[in-house]
Amino acid sequence: MDGAHGSPSRPGFAAWAVIMALAALAVWVLGVDYALAQAAFVATWAIAGLGVVLVVGQCGQVSLGQGALLGLGAYAQAVFALRGVPAQLSLPLAIALGAGGGWLASLPARRLGGLYFAMSTLAFALVVEEALVRWESLTRGAAGLAVPPLALGGWVAETPLAQALVACVALALAWLACRRWAASRLGRAWRAVREDEIAAAAAGIDVARAKTLAFVLGGGLSGLGGALYAHWIGFVSPEQFGLMLSFELLMLAFIGGARHLSGALWGALVVVALPQGVSLAVERLPPGLAGAAGIEMALFGAVLVILVLLRPGGLAGSR
Amino acid sequence: MNLFHRLFCALGIAAASAAAAQAPGVSEREIVVGSIQDLSGPIALLGVPVRDGMQMRFDDANAAGGVHGRKLRLVVEDAGYDPKKGVLAARKLVQRDRVFAFLANLGTPVVMATMPPIVDAGRPHLFPFSPHESTYAPRHPLKFQMFAPYQDYMDAATRHMVQTHGYRKTCLLYQDDDYGLEVMKGVEAGLAKLQRPLAEKTSYKRGATDFSSQVARLRGAGCDFVVLATVVRETVAAVSEARRTGWNVDMLVTASGYSAQTHELGGKAVEGLYGVTVLPHPYEAGANGQLADWIRRYRERFGVAPNVWSAMGYTVADLFVKAADKVGRDLTVERFTAALETLHTPRDFFGGPEYRFSRDEHLGNRHGRIAQIRDGRWAILTDYLK
Repeated sequence: MDGAHGSPSRPGFAAWAVIMALAALAVWVLGVDYALAQAAFVATWAIAGLGVVLVVGQCGQVSLGQGALLGLGAYAQAVFALRGVPAQLSLPLAIALGAGGGWLASLPARRLGGLYFAMSTLAFALVVEEALVRWESLTRGAAGLAVPPLALGGWVAETPLAQALVACVALALAWLACRRWAASRLGRAWRAVREDEIAAAAAGIDVARAKTLAFVLGGGLSGLGGALYAHWIGFVSPEQFGLMLSFELLMLAFIGGARHLSGALWGALVVVALPQGVSLAVERLPPGLAGAAGIEMALFGAVLVILVLLRPGGLAGSR
Repeated sequence: MNLFHRLFCALGIAAASAAAAQAPGVSEREIVVGSIQDLSGPIALLGVPVRDGMQMRFDDANAAGGVHGRKLRLVVEDAGYDPKKGVLAARKLVQRDRVFAFLANLGTPVVMATMPPIVDAGRPHLFPFSPHESTYAPRHPLKFQMFAPYQDYMDAATRHMVQTHGYRKTCLLYQDDDYGLEVMKGVEAGLAKLQRPLAEKTSYKRGATDFSSQVARLRGAGCDFVVLATVVRETVAAVSEARRTGWNVDMLVTASGYSAQTHELGGKAVEGLYGVTVLPHPYEAGANGQLADWIRRYRERFGVAPNVWSAMGYTVADLFVKAADKVGRDLTVERFTAALETLHTPRDFFGGPEYRFSRDEHLGNRHGRIAQIRDGRWAILTDYLK
């Protein structure tokens, strides 16, 4: 496929077959609600992952603050939902806030590059987390906010089936948008910036604008992911959107394959569903071993290392 | 897909009607209980002994023939303090392991995220390790709690300390998160009842190691009593900093700092530190016969000495066993919660408090007591403060 050049890729038939087989197996082994709840989280994380793929994979910028953008979307959605703003209005607002956050985070890119810029996104994430703690009148600070279920008109997405449905529809829309962007003039500009900023500028590409747009669009996707996440979890607190989340999202993109849109889905499957698979596998171990603290984490880590060794370009990558 | 779907629905209905005869998780020979713990995340230090304590109580019950002929089985899921994993773990335990109830889920974000799907599935949500008020109020038929919010303990403890020692300027060092804020509310409430203000307060970020500026500020304000809303490491660091600078002010740490690690890590520097405790630490030296035997068995079973969290795990599971025992052979969720609502347990061999539940009160205990580090171990100073 065109992976080496980094243009948008679609998972082939075989990939879809694998995913469908995994889904069927999950439903069979786990039961419907458990499998659907996982599907909702996988799809939601894939939306956030698409945001990272745009910034990191397409435009070649390292963002360590994507978790904070997710937090902005989640908090926006929570605050609006608690004030009775209908989701049809609050979801676009959450996306807009994520996009706005992305724009803010991208400002230092005009002067900084590489690792220095990555550090500035890290600082941005810290500022957002701190703001969520401090702005108590709005966020109730560290005590967190309980979030009601997602209500679209008269329909309330309370069951895992409804949540999975909403998440998958949102993912499909996000996916189509990303495909359009990546295939457009903007997508080509991103990839040019990724390969060589100076050459891109020499070719007449507005580098700063390309970077800003990657962050704005990626931020919007993170905002959407965060808004849905807030509903699925039902409780948001600042600590959930700390640096760990940013690293998890970055890991998601690299494991899945940051240069491909489908990398977001593969990465989300690994980050969300693999620990559950590991947990099921651990139950089969002898009781002494299965009871060891942290064994699931250790096994998850081991599987990740193997994945990275076998597919350094990510699961969606060609090699 | 349609055929598959139909087949699945048919299977689901068949399974549901078979299960209707008996409560989920209760079979002829077994009661399955679920718990969502942190065994790999930031509070795994608590999660592992809690799990082991619960496991030990269930093993003890099983060795004695089980509860009305049924063995107890504990299924533990590791959520690593991640609410996303917690929600999935709750779904798994409800649907796949079909647990009868959830016991001692750990960590506020995980508890808050998992409580709705658990009670929606009709499963009792018992004694979570989260000081959040919504774990028992407003009253919900399936929510029970035995750990009061920090606010309750700290209100009484602050009042007791100020009244007995006659402090003039009470100050607070707190972690700037929900834990610290809860403690602040309690300290302020306690002082308000004595018509005194909180003289000075200063915060730190979780994970901080340097407390020199905070301690200097409190000292500068002329505090003669400092309440610490800190966890073990921060407690040691803050007290050590004060002593290092020659400030021998009286300090009281919350139940989060009441741990054997505090005096193990702090050594001489933390000598004389006051602490609030709900359950006493199970020290081997000077233990009564029953406790000494329990410590020996715990050590043999898990290869480490038990701590206060192990005792809490054991106590939590003990309450479950007692309530289930009270129900009799015909165990259903309704009968179980009804039994729990009339449960009143006496003081146990750990020296823990009485737990008393009622129809209107699903929080079993609101009281803590004062302890002090003397000769390198916590010594209990008072009875439970009402």
